[in-house]
Amino acid sequence: MHKVFSLLFVAGMLVSIPMLAQGPARPANPVDIAGEWRLENNEEDTTAQPPLGDYLGIPFNDAGRMRSDTTPESIWGTPEFECRPHTFPHQWRGLGGARILKEQDPLTREIKTYHIQFMRSLDYPVFMDGRSHPPAWAPHTWTGFSTGEWIGNTLKITTTHLKDGYLKRGGPQTSDMYTMTTYITRHDDILTIITWMDDPLYQDEPYVQSTTYYYDPAATVNTETCTGNAFAENGGTDRHHVPVFLPGQNTAWKDLLKKEPGIPEAAVRGGVKTVYPEYKLTLNGSASLASLKVPSSRSTLDAAKKIADQSPRDAQVHILPVQGNIYMLVADGTNLTVSVGPEGVLVVNTGTAEMSDKILAAIKQLSSAVTAQPATNNCAGANCPGIWGWSSPYIDAIISSPAPAKPIRYIVNTSAAAEHVGGNEKLASSGFFPRVNGFGTAVENVGRIASIAAHENVLNRMSAPDAKRPPAPADALPTDTYFDEFNKLPAFVNGEPVILYYAPAANTDGDSLVFFRRSDVIAAGNIYSTVSYPVIDLERGGSVQGVIDGLNKILDLAVAEYRGQGGTYIVPSRGRLSDTADVASYRNMMVAVRDRVKDSIAKGLTLEQVKAAKITMDFDGRYGSTTGPWTTDMFIEAVYKSLKEKK
Amino acid sequence: MSGANSSVTAHSHKVMRHALAILAIVLFVSMSAFAQRGGGGRGGPAGPPPTGRGASALDLTGYWVSVINEDWRLRMITPPKGQFDALTLNAEGRRVGNTWDPDRDEKAGEQCKAYGAPAIMRLPGRLHITWENENTLRIDTDTGTQTRLFHFDPTAAGQPTWQGHSVAGWQYGPSTRGAARTGNLKVVTTNLRAGYVRRNGAPYSDKAVVTEYYDLNTMPNGDLWMTVTTRVDDPVYFSRPLINTTDFKKLPDNTGWNPAPCTTK
Repeated sequence: MHKVFSLLFVAGMLVSIPMLAQGPARPANPVDIAGEWRLENNEEDTTAQPPLGDYLGIPFNDAGRMRSDTTPESIWGTPEFECRPHTFPHQWRGLGGARILKEQDPLTREIKTYHIQFMRSLDYPVFMDGRSHPPAWAPHTWTGFSTGEWIGNTLKITTTHLKDGYLKRGGPQTSDMYTMTTYITRHDDILTIITWMDDPLYQDEPYVQSTTYYYDPAATVNTETCTGNAFAENGGTDRHHVPVFLPGQNTAWKDLLKKEPGIPEAAVRGGVKTVYPEYKLTLNGSASLASLKVPSSRSTLDAAKKIADQSPRDAQVHILPVQGNIYMLVADGTNLTVSVGPEGVLVVNTGTAEMSDKILAAIKQLSSAVTAQPATNNCAGANCPGIWGWSSPYIDAIISSPAPAKPIRYIVNTSAAAEHVGGNEKLASSGFFPRVNGFGTAVENVGRIASIAAHENVLNRMSAPDAKRPPAPADALPTDTYFDEFNKLPAFVNGEPVILYYAPAANTDGDSLVFFRRSDVIAAGNIYSTVSYPVIDLERGGSVQGVIDGLNKILDLAVAEYRGQGGTYIVPSRGRLSDTADVASYRNMMVAVRDRVKDSIAKGLTLEQVKAAKITMDFDGRYGSTTGPWTTDMFIEAVYKSLKEKK
Repeated sequence: MSGANSSVTAHSHKVMRHALAILAIVLFVSMSAFAQRGGGGRGGPAGPPPTGRGASALDLTGYWVSVINEDWRLRMITPPKGQFDALTLNAEGRRVGNTWDPDRDEKAGEQCKAYGAPAIMRLPGRLHITWENENTLRIDTDTGTQTRLFHFDPTAAGQPTWQGHSVAGWQYGPSTRGAARTGNLKVVTTNLRAGYVRRNGAPYSDKAVVTEYYDLNTMPNGDLWMTVTTRVDDPVYFSRPLINTTDFKKLPDNTGWNPAPCTTK
């Protein structure tokens, strides 16, 4: 009888186990979304050029509207933007279909990554392996950084680290502080895509769009190639030409109203009150736009925090590998650029004095990790390449402790700003530059400490008494200065040329750009920041045009890998690691601000009137500040006086 | 039969009953777990689709507002006569569409021609979704004061109406063991009165079939959004299916609920 019992139990388990085994421990990938998909959506034709000035349905705030009004379509003609792909909010609505590929683990068949491609796009990977998003100081790209998770039948994708761009063709702009959440659901042969775009700088509420694709295995996603041009369209011989509309100059929306007289003026300008059914009450005159109450949504993003996070003031040093020999150190509100290699360490700028110990520790840690880590024992015996007898370095590596970190050989100061030279003394003293008689303008410390290279005006500023700052100690002063338009360091550093380019009358009269020619990295100094307007110190020889010229110099030196992205990397004085397109966007902002202030001066406006006019409202949320050492008012004043004096 | 044998037999029956009981429990637990995942199996045919309120893959009930981020000029206002951009009308559809006369519709008492199932979800307004009964989901619209009924059980179609006859079924996605089932709702609507797929007279015929998919997504700020993917097949006036998506945001209450009758203006 016990046998009967046992048999029945076993039979029951045999029947039940396969049923229980049907459900894996983690959610399955419920439907296959991979394949070729054809855009099949019978709403307004988003693949064609929409009317200029059309902001219908966009919950723009005043800043978003202003940024869009002042950005002409001809911005596409600038060398840095002419090959840019459709920016993220428009990708799913652009011409040419979509291809979704699966990258699977060959053993477990788990999907590690989805790759999504469009005609005018770069690869858009969606990581499914649970990795976290990068830190805020990591680069932004056209397709951002995406992670995905399945929720029932829907793939939810969260995308951060996006560049600024446009919501759709025809002018509506985005900031670079937005995030996208995408929901993809397959219904039979229809793929439904819902995008939630949260841009608190330019929108009163998140912008939701949805579209559909149809499964079409015969479809092909072509690749749109683009051949860049070194010259700006409409710029004549000026390769740096940036087209801008002054506020009020763009009348495209008025032209649209003439063509489509049924559309009300308030609607074509966008705004959260125009996107809810309540707006219909204004059409028959039963309510005014101002009186409408709509159930608007809130943003989840704190834009100010997101910007500040790119350059955290946390009394810590964060290390970000760039490329080649180069690392970016994010050190309590300022960036250092560090070259690490077999010859030692070169560091561009030294941070504040208060951070010196932590910066030094981080550099030593980095140098040890890069150059002094024991190698794995790949070869044993007397015949290993480069080995004499049994004195194998591999054996040495096993029996010996690691070699000490390489010393700091060079310091380069891009300016005399306190956050650039504050650690000079301590960092220079920790290293040395091996020479007997030195070079350039030799001073007493040559051969004893690291070489400190800078434009001669940096030495002048640091050694001369100043009302704001006492003379720097001798060990902190530049040992090797230059006065020409550029200065090559006397020998390769870690296998590559390092060139200092002078940026005259930029933030001050002593700014340098530092170009690592083989690693293809530029340390921009104070000329470029992703978290603030540039500090223009008129008392120390700065000017708005000098900053713009400095940014153009960066763009002349830099070469994007593809479509304005990647390639040469630029380390800003503060903020996230950047590339050509980022610097171009910043340069474009500076040109717009310059032209607006210049126009205000031409109209006879006083400084106070210019400040009150909020002519930089579209950029103030991104780069401005009402508190701290460099406020929006101070920036406007510097630009105003810089242009007024020039005039 | 001896007493000993009788005792053994009784014991055997008792053990057998226990064994069968255990087997039944094991099978019940297994099948319950199986059913929780919506039936079907690897490579096997899917079981009968669960129906009605008790088998909901998502909760659509409540008040919803349409957010007109897209197609503003085609939805918030009535586009000019003959503006059929993005539609899939064939030549006959365009011809009929160009004969649109709102006054004629008004006189004929057909003010609701643009409020039928193929178009009602595109019109700006609010929805109120409730369970009419255990097997019927009801959608009321304030715009045009229309009522749609989604039947999860077989019902007779009756006469053609603006909202037609809708048959609904849940579509489940796999989920982690023990987790609540999620998925979406598929609705197929037939038996329609001929009407307009756009307010400016772009026609659909009484042969049109509307297939809709209802999805719910929780947005990063916690808002619940419903997206309706609509496919309209019409052998009379369309050259190919018309496909679009419409987005609604869930509201906490009926604030803003503003019933208004159909209008041709």
